[in-house]
Amino acid sequence: MHPGIEIVEADPTAERRLLESLADWCDRYTPLVALDGEDGLFLDTTGCAHLFGGERSMLDELLACFLRLGFDARAGLASTVGAAWAAARFFASRIVEAGEEEAFLTPLPLAALRIDASVRAGLEGVGLRTAGAVMSTPRAPLARRFGRELLLRMDQALGRLEETISPRRPAPPLAVERRLAEPIVAMEAVEHLVGQLAVTLRSDLERRGEGARALELALFRVDGAVSRVGVGAARPLREPDRIGLLFHERLAVLEDRIDAGFGFDLVRLSAFSLAPFEARQADLSGEDASGEERLALFADRIRARLGDHAVLKAVSVESHLPERAVAAVPFAGKIAMHEITPCPVPSPQGGRGFCSGIRRRTSTALARETAAASPSSLWGADRDGGKKSYLPDRPIRLFSSPEPIEAIAAEVPEGAPASFRWRRVFHRVAASEGPERIAPEWWRADGSEGTRDYFRVEDEEGRRFWLYRQGLYGELPQGPRWFMHGIFA
Amino acid sequence: MVERAVARETIFALRREIAKIEGVLADRLEPPPGRSGIADGVFVRRDGRAVENGRPSLLRTGADAFDAVLGGGLPRAGLVEIHGKETRDAGAVAGFTLALASLLLKEGTDGPLLWIGTADIFHETGFPYLPGLHARFGIGPETILFARPRQLRDALWIAEEAARLKALSAVFLEIGGSPHQLDFTATRRLHRRALQAERPLFLLREAGFAEPTAAPLRLILAPAGARPRSTLAGPLANSIGPPSFVVGIDKSRNAPSRQFILEWDAAECSFREGRREDHGTENIGVMVSASRHGQDPAPPAGAVLAFPARAGPTGRNAPPRQPSRGQRKAHRGA
Repeated sequence: MHPGIEIVEADPTAERRLLESLADWCDRYTPLVALDGEDGLFLDTTGCAHLFGGERSMLDELLACFLRLGFDARAGLASTVGAAWAAARFFASRIVEAGEEEAFLTPLPLAALRIDASVRAGLEGVGLRTAGAVMSTPRAPLARRFGRELLLRMDQALGRLEETISPRRPAPPLAVERRLAEPIVAMEAVEHLVGQLAVTLRSDLERRGEGARALELALFRVDGAVSRVGVGAARPLREPDRIGLLFHERLAVLEDRIDAGFGFDLVRLSAFSLAPFEARQADLSGEDASGEERLALFADRIRARLGDHAVLKAVSVESHLPERAVAAVPFAGKIAMHEITPCPVPSPQGGRGFCSGIRRRTSTALARETAAASPSSLWGADRDGGKKSYLPDRPIRLFSSPEPIEAIAAEVPEGAPASFRWRRVFHRVAASEGPERIAPEWWRADGSEGTRDYFRVEDEEGRRFWLYRQGLYGELPQGPRWFMHGIFA
Repeated sequence: MVERAVARETIFALRREIAKIEGVLADRLEPPPGRSGIADGVFVRRDGRAVENGRPSLLRTGADAFDAVLGGGLPRAGLVEIHGKETRDAGAVAGFTLALASLLLKEGTDGPLLWIGTADIFHETGFPYLPGLHARFGIGPETILFARPRQLRDALWIAEEAARLKALSAVFLEIGGSPHQLDFTATRRLHRRALQAERPLFLLREAGFAEPTAAPLRLILAPAGARPRSTLAGPLANSIGPPSFVVGIDKSRNAPSRQFILEWDAAECSFREGRREDHGTENIGVMVSASRHGQDPAPPAGAVLAFPARAGPTGRNAPPRQPSRGQRKAHRGA
């Protein structure tokens, strides 16, 4: 071996990452970029070439940019995917005009047809050594002998069959971008630019009568890295200042994670999810935002800054286990209880309800009732008194994971402890109520834990707790365990 | 003109002095000239701004003595600090605040509540549990939102943004301990914003020290033993009735430092005064029959007594219920 050769292990995942980052960078030419194997990229430039001064200058610019980034790239441009593939691999920066595919492919070897090596070997075995020779052969015997794949590839390369690429990212219905002669570095400048782009976007949205519910800001750095910042909105957005506000919050958090480097030379604002926009007449005072709208904007801003799970709303779930009866879901701008999440794990036979106070329903009836139930009826009582139906006493705060306590002198077989130690503090029980037995959900796989007997206890200082005993006496030699599950008012 | 203004200022100063002596609301002033349409001729000014007559500026709790000491009730706008001495008292702190929110909602304040707390404090004291809120305080899933940021800085940011929203009927900000981010400036910002939005912001502090803050009112909450459940046949032995709280007024512009035992009546959606003799749990000690003509026996240790009213809000040399500033490590070194 030559001593000057440096040997580096092949790293396919790193190469893949590199190719994907190049594909990200190619987003500046068209939103439709697809990967082609391990070493190629497909760009669907339909309707994009005029932005770069024609096809030739676009191709030249692309190749020049790749050279500056340190890549030796070859490109071909054609009306069909197959012809472009062949042009990129057998020529350097060749443009195939529409209708000339056949003449272009005729002198090329069989490899230009994108066919399997075994098919190619078979064709060469019978003396068909160029694409032109295959194309002039009768089709029926070819298909019989070499399979339909060969004809499919040929038809695709010649444009007889439609072929589309599958882009890596969804193409936004609307996008506005600005190319900058002088790259920008400061985040304030980026925010200012977002405001300007949003103004442009508004006119497009107004023409379509829609608003954006998901927006993405793509920052293309001069050296090829692309940063994407997305924000979501609970209601369709159109106002530039609100869009700017959401990006302001998002960028405030991401500021130290986005590396501006030598600056961004292309900034694109894309609207991904569009929804019909309800135009509302503003009154004379200019206060056109209702309370609910302000709340939605407030929630959007918090979500933009701190993530989807920063603002939560609680929804009831059909489960009699206390910790499963309520789920916290991200608040999406609508406080009304119109949508109620169904039970995450519906019972297979519809059997439910071990403890009293839980109504027994089949799962089909549950779906119907949930659709018809108003929030108040779902909660079993009106908020003025809670006298309509029996509601079991529940704590106002519940620990996400019950904390083990040391119960002392509990009444056998069922009674509250006389005292207990919780978080290393001794509490003497002054009064207690219970037990309320809650059995595990047997239809779940993890239903191996025993029943729980819940007690409301009050210690001598007046603190009220919700304790439970897991299991019964005599089940385990060391006795049942006790847990602290919640705190009452 | 100048003379009139000077004379009015003098009258205001004198009235304020009298109010201080009487221990009532000091901000009760005459209406400015040219302003009519005030029915009883009394013009209420709060924090330098006129309060409209139509909307009461104070939230009545229903416990008359407590309301009277506070000059009519709790403020409906601005920052209210609610302290718990220990993290274990989080139930009482949250319960009392939820009861206040329930009072607000009963009067038809539109908009949901927002409860902000860091992930730490919610982990330590338990996340608010909706069925419990609904059963005791009538707060359903459509009337409350939660914010659970990881860091205190983010919680404060959310609180500042939420404080100026009129679309929320009240904001709860729950903080554990005494973080340095929550200093006078931070609370002042919260207070001013909440005042502007005319919405209350309840600052729930678990195991925090009483520090200088901009909140005009600071209450110290402790749990109180609940009365037994009442049935037709009399009180049910060894049962736990409606929640009750020991509410101490620690800082107030015009109320003397006092303690009350309040009991929340969920059916009436109102507070009422808890009577000391009803406290079954406190009478566990030695039972002594009351002497007929002499003095009452000494109360059992640990019992809660109302402190005698003091002359002014400055009389703060009472036995400390919370460690004073001097006891804090940070101040000790200085």
